[in-house]
Amino acid sequence: MHALMRGVLQVTRWSTWFGGALILLAAFLIGVDVVLRKFFSTSIGGADELAGYALAIGTAWSLAAALLARAHIRIDSLYALLPLRLRLLLDFVGLALFIGFFGLIARHGWNVLLQSWQSGSRSQSALQIPTVIPQALWILGLALFVIIGVLLFVHALGLVLRGRSGEATRAISTRSAQEDVAEEVRDVKARRSRESDAR
Amino acid sequence: MIWTAVGVLLLVLALAVPVAAGLGVLGLALSEMYSKLPLTLAIGEMSWATSNNFLLVAIPFFVLLGEILLRSGIAERMYNALVLWVPWLPGGLMHSNIASCAMFASTSGSSVATAATIGTVAMGEIRKHGYSERLFLGTIAAGGTLGILIPPSINMIVYGVLTDSSIPKLYLAGIIPGLVLAILFSLTILVICLIWPQLGGRRTHATWAQRIQALPDLLPPLVIFLAVIGSIYAGWATATESAALGVIAALVVAALRRRLTLRMLGHALEGTMRTSAMIMAILIAAYFLNFVITSIGLTTQVNRYVTQLGLTPAQLFVTVVLFYLVLGMFMETLSMMVATVPIIAPIMIKAGFDPIWFGVLIVILLETAMITPPVGINLYVVQGLRERGRIDDVIIGAAPFVLTMLLMIAALWYWPALALWIPSLASR
Repeated sequence: MHALMRGVLQVTRWSTWFGGALILLAAFLIGVDVVLRKFFSTSIGGADELAGYALAIGTAWSLAAALLARAHIRIDSLYALLPLRLRLLLDFVGLALFIGFFGLIARHGWNVLLQSWQSGSRSQSALQIPTVIPQALWILGLALFVIIGVLLFVHALGLVLRGRSGEATRAISTRSAQEDVAEEVRDVKARRSRESDAR
Repeated sequence: MIWTAVGVLLLVLALAVPVAAGLGVLGLALSEMYSKLPLTLAIGEMSWATSNNFLLVAIPFFVLLGEILLRSGIAERMYNALVLWVPWLPGGLMHSNIASCAMFASTSGSSVATAATIGTVAMGEIRKHGYSERLFLGTIAAGGTLGILIPPSINMIVYGVLTDSSIPKLYLAGIIPGLVLAILFSLTILVICLIWPQLGGRRTHATWAQRIQALPDLLPPLVIFLAVIGSIYAGWATATESAALGVIAALVVAALRRRLTLRMLGHALEGTMRTSAMIMAILIAAYFLNFVITSIGLTTQVNRYVTQLGLTPAQLFVTVVLFYLVLGMFMETLSMMVATVPIIAPIMIKAGFDPIWFGVLIVILLETAMITPPVGINLYVVQGLRERGRIDDVIIGAAPFVLTMLLMIAALWYWPALALWIPSLASR
């Protein structure tokens, strides 16, 4: 099971890099477009459209990484005061609702894709991209998120059933502010020490 | 209907359901209860439209810009340069903290990033020069909040998209209030240190030669600010395009500093995509929820309800400010914004308030929320950097600046031009 989750983690890292690369490409494309437009009175045409696709696909492919990193915001003012068992129960409820809601989006997104396919719709810009291409990549990202979400749910449930609630907490509970900050601080300190080494 | 909606929202949020799922579930529930048409069928089309919205592309760009800057070491040099320029005032380096935060804010769209970056650099100076630890920590927590008021600002992008107002105008509207608030922060420090000189630490002295020599270190932030805000002001670029220019400028700065490596870029992209995915998940759900509450007539109903109350604009203003002050103590700022602005902004606009002005007001209220306990993200960040003592020190140190922010809100009420003057110049 742990080996499986390690594999999952690796998959989400790759998918995040893929998403990040799309965003970086989009930034360059738009930057070049602005310069061309300003100084050479010409344009790539459709850079904005491509950047929009990059956003949709890139973030869909990164949803799972954010889930595993417990980066999705939860309001824990009340939650923090509850006993541990109740908290863990809420963790499962929250995770299930999250997967369910995005599963619903993926399900209806699939209908959108089918419609684009049947009508053979193309984007309005000069590029005339068949809309099924970006939509398919987007749905794929959402599907990946749902699958990984379900795996995480099952993994955490398995831990609880084997009496290892502590580990389950680390997998699906909210990150405490201390935990968050500790990471940030570790990052910053590591950077500072690298810098002073470099000097 | 109003109270059911508020009740369900409070319930799911209090139960710590992830905010994105909470807003989505509320949308589904309201549509189930009050709509004759199956609104859920639109969720696919709507999520796709939100996901590839060109305006929102600015969000990952600004997160990426911040991640690169954080790793490029420009903040350290900037701080050290500013330290030479302002410490002769009573309050010494605490003014450098505010100045550095304001300057870093002009390149960063996030308050957490601003507080964390400046805090890391400044923290070592407290003991060295005998400052009051509490007040010093407070200046970082409060100064950091300028990150979202001085453009660029991720929260302004979200506000602009939620209320359909111009993001460039919001940016330009944030400049003067941002600078005024920074000056007010400094005045607050000055007054406190004049009354209690022992809080102010030992002054340091710098020669003019040192000061001039350090000036080039202020250049990189300036270049990025000019790339982002200058290109908007000059009308060369839209908000999203200016964000792309900012990313490129930051990459160039990092490369010149020899900090740009594949490894660094990989880390920056990972962080960027995690944060962006989190924000987009909330926005997708918020869009669906807004569609539902408009379709079932909830917005109209709330509007009618408020109209019936017959509040004067001044009363409405005070009510809204109090509402956000209280909510801000308990809620994280982005969630607070997407959950409330779609309902409250139309009310304010109908009552005759300018949407751009209201956007600036909301951002200042969000800043307040970041330093009011028990939930105030900048308090946590500063305490985390410090790694000892109790968080109460930070809370107490930041408290005077909450008053300063209230003063700023009052100023914005009496002189709306503080926010609206620059946007009016640019639109001519």
